[in-house]
Amino acid sequence: MKPHLLHRLTAVLALTAAAHAGDSYAVKAGTVMTMGGDPIENGVIVMQDGRITAVGKDGEVEIPWDAEVFEAPDLVAFPGMVEACISGGMDRPNESVDVTPFLDVNDSIDPVNFFYEDMRRAGVTTINVQQGDETVIAGRGMVVKPSGMTVEAMMVRPQSGMKISVAPKRGKSRAVQLMILRNAFADLRRTLEGMVQEKQDEVAKARREALAQGRDFEEPKPAGRAMEGSGWKLEGLEWVDRSTIDAKLLPLLDVVEGRLPIYLNCETPMDVLHGLAIAKENGFLAQTVLMIGASCWKVSDQIKEAGVRGVVLPLQLEHTERAPFAEEDTVTLLPEHFAEKGIPFALRSANSTTESLWYQAARCVALGVDRQQALEAITTMPADLIGLGSDVGSLEPGHHANIVLLSGDPLSLQSTVQYVFVEGRMIYDRSQDTRLQHLLEGVEPEGVSADEPVVTDIHEEERKAGGE
Amino acid sequence: MILTTLMAAAAPALAGGGTGVSLMVHAEYLHVGPGEVVRNALVQVDEGQIVAVLPGRSAPDGALSVHSAMAGMVDASARTTGDPSAVEQSKEIITQLSVQDALDPFDPAWGRLARTGVTTALIAPPDLNVIGGLTVVVKTAGAPRLEGRVLEGKPILRGAIGDQPSARNSPAFGRPRNYFARRPTTRMGVEWEWRKAFFDAGQAERFPEADFEGADVLRACLKGDVRVMIQAWTTADIRTACYLDEEMQREGYGDLDLVIDAGAEAWKEPAFLQRTGTSVVLPPFPASGRSGERSFMPWNTARVLLDKGIPVALSGHGGTSPKTRLGDQAGFAMRGGLTFDEALAAVTTTPAALLGVEQRVGRVAAGMDADLVLWNGRPFEATSAIVGVVASGDVVLQPR
Repeated sequence: MKPHLLHRLTAVLALTAAAHAGDSYAVKAGTVMTMGGDPIENGVIVMQDGRITAVGKDGEVEIPWDAEVFEAPDLVAFPGMVEACISGGMDRPNESVDVTPFLDVNDSIDPVNFFYEDMRRAGVTTINVQQGDETVIAGRGMVVKPSGMTVEAMMVRPQSGMKISVAPKRGKSRAVQLMILRNAFADLRRTLEGMVQEKQDEVAKARREALAQGRDFEEPKPAGRAMEGSGWKLEGLEWVDRSTIDAKLLPLLDVVEGRLPIYLNCETPMDVLHGLAIAKENGFLAQTVLMIGASCWKVSDQIKEAGVRGVVLPLQLEHTERAPFAEEDTVTLLPEHFAEKGIPFALRSANSTTESLWYQAARCVALGVDRQQALEAITTMPADLIGLGSDVGSLEPGHHANIVLLSGDPLSLQSTVQYVFVEGRMIYDRSQDTRLQHLLEGVEPEGVSADEPVVTDIHEEERKAGGE
Repeated sequence: MILTTLMAAAAPALAGGGTGVSLMVHAEYLHVGPGEVVRNALVQVDEGQIVAVLPGRSAPDGALSVHSAMAGMVDASARTTGDPSAVEQSKEIITQLSVQDALDPFDPAWGRLARTGVTTALIAPPDLNVIGGLTVVVKTAGAPRLEGRVLEGKPILRGAIGDQPSARNSPAFGRPRNYFARRPTTRMGVEWEWRKAFFDAGQAERFPEADFEGADVLRACLKGDVRVMIQAWTTADIRTACYLDEEMQREGYGDLDLVIDAGAEAWKEPAFLQRTGTSVVLPPFPASGRSGERSFMPWNTARVLLDKGIPVALSGHGGTSPKTRLGDQAGFAMRGGLTFDEALAAVTTTPAALLGVEQRVGRVAAGMDADLVLWNGRPFEATSAIVGVVASGDVVLQPR
């Protein structure tokens, strides 16, 4: 057996032996940045059944006698990062139909998509997968972890929200986009009104018949429940049995009743204002997370006043506005602006090198944001936004054991993700990451390509002869 | 010079006339050059030049005070002129014209580039024919007239090997349809143009009746008086450029002083570059590794080349948006294994030497141009940003 194969086999054995659910496991790291308090030097994280049971200084925390201990004295432990809303890892993230609240990314998530591999490599362990921006009302999303061969194995929280796009999809004007968006809710209302009316007519008819036949009429009891939510309310909805409502419309009723988090995609300030108005009218304002474009800082006061769940900043953290005739550009630093306005924000990412969560957080620090707030924007803040603040985002007892072991400070250019644990299982080991070796060192994984041709200098002898 | 320094040190206030100091910059860490850091340094500037660098000072009133400062960066492939009118295309080989005449000093792109910390830039004719002409090195800020901003460096002839020079051409069958109905239309044709140009120029030295317009520049290249900068993304194109050099040597025509621009795949066969003494200007780091003309550039490319002793300059290709700027490239090169000092050299002293302007730019020292990049943290780190830029003594980006 070749040595590298042996090595790989032992690594696989180590991975499977590492931490089975039910077993106790502990990670000792040089520094543990819990994000729930001060960093702990020579820290230890104890976990059982996929959750953290204790975090503290080595020697002060009791490690169960049967626990397997992973020693990483040179590494920094950091909570697995959290992606608040991203359209990746799906078979085509956008539907061509405009309004599709009845769809679910459950059917489009592709567990072997490279996207999840990239996420592991970047230390992201919780991902809220939502449909893309080229929609009006998209299907429902799902929070997943980037490990597992089936969607069920990856699932952390199903039906975790819905993407609604105020910014026009390709080929549409803003006017049409907004018309379709408003009509979707108006259609829902009309349909429900019709159902209530039908039910009331039915009862009235039965009552008249009973009267005509001289029978006692037993008034029926409502079959459903009254409409909830903070937007428009439909009187008499309790008369409608909800199971009789078209399944294509039901998810939209969940939205209006404030049961589904909404990720509202807004490119420009005007999108934000229209979006906030539609959200308020239809009762999902308090559930709304704004996915904003770079120029949306201009309506930060309105965003603050509206009381949305939160804001996710764009990849581009600097907004540059060019005056057409003057040479000067006006640059607005988004993280600094939102921090000064007191609007908490999360960050989003695109790829695993130059636009990953850690890099975006580092750029926040460069652009004048307090380091702690920048770190929160990739851990606890997005965890809160997706409603999993008590499960992920920090290394605290009771939380999922999602841990990233880095070679140094999470925000340093020279730090690298060495190991990733999700729910107590090691899902990433850098030394086994052949694709990363290709990207970083140009080393092709063995067997994937022909060897480079051996280039010999065919003129070597001639030249030597000429030189003499 | 010494007198000026002493006077300035005695009267640190800016206001006083006759001190001979128009601007002072104080940095906790002054990166004078690769491997040289001066703590709490005060840089005194007058008339566009650095007059003194004083260590161990506190920031006087009126000085710009920052965490770190370094020399203005030099981009050896700034590409601010994508305009097709910046290159003569009536022939495939244009050697006697310079791109200097096509530059617009009023283009706001210069100011944008200056504010990213690039204070010196090599501008080359766009690669729309095989050899586009002579390049020019300019300061990105300063005098309103171009004459005051051009730096006298080593003359450089610019051309390209690969897809780009032939990309828009189509063969002129029958009646030529338009301007681009011309040859070459393939990579082979581009290579043939290169070899023919140098071969003809070399031959013309022996047979004067065969001389042609522009051949003198090609002969100057063969003598090494004019540097030859060739854009070659892929390993095949880099190999072709090196073979060209070796062929000219073998024929006894001379030895080309080669620089490969956008050498994304230079890491694959560094032996060629070592053998021909060729330097490399790298293109911006691609996040996915996939770079121009279907090349692949891993993140440790700069590391590999430096380990083989090949001089490496980084370039942002004139990018002014986040992640494309030259300062970002230095950070990415550090992620790929460069030390801080190597990264600093790759954006200052190395490109300055490539362009032959190392006497004026690339280091922070008395007598050098007053080009400074001011940072709010350690330069190039992801957690640091450029907060101020001084170019030729002018504050083009005021520290926040």
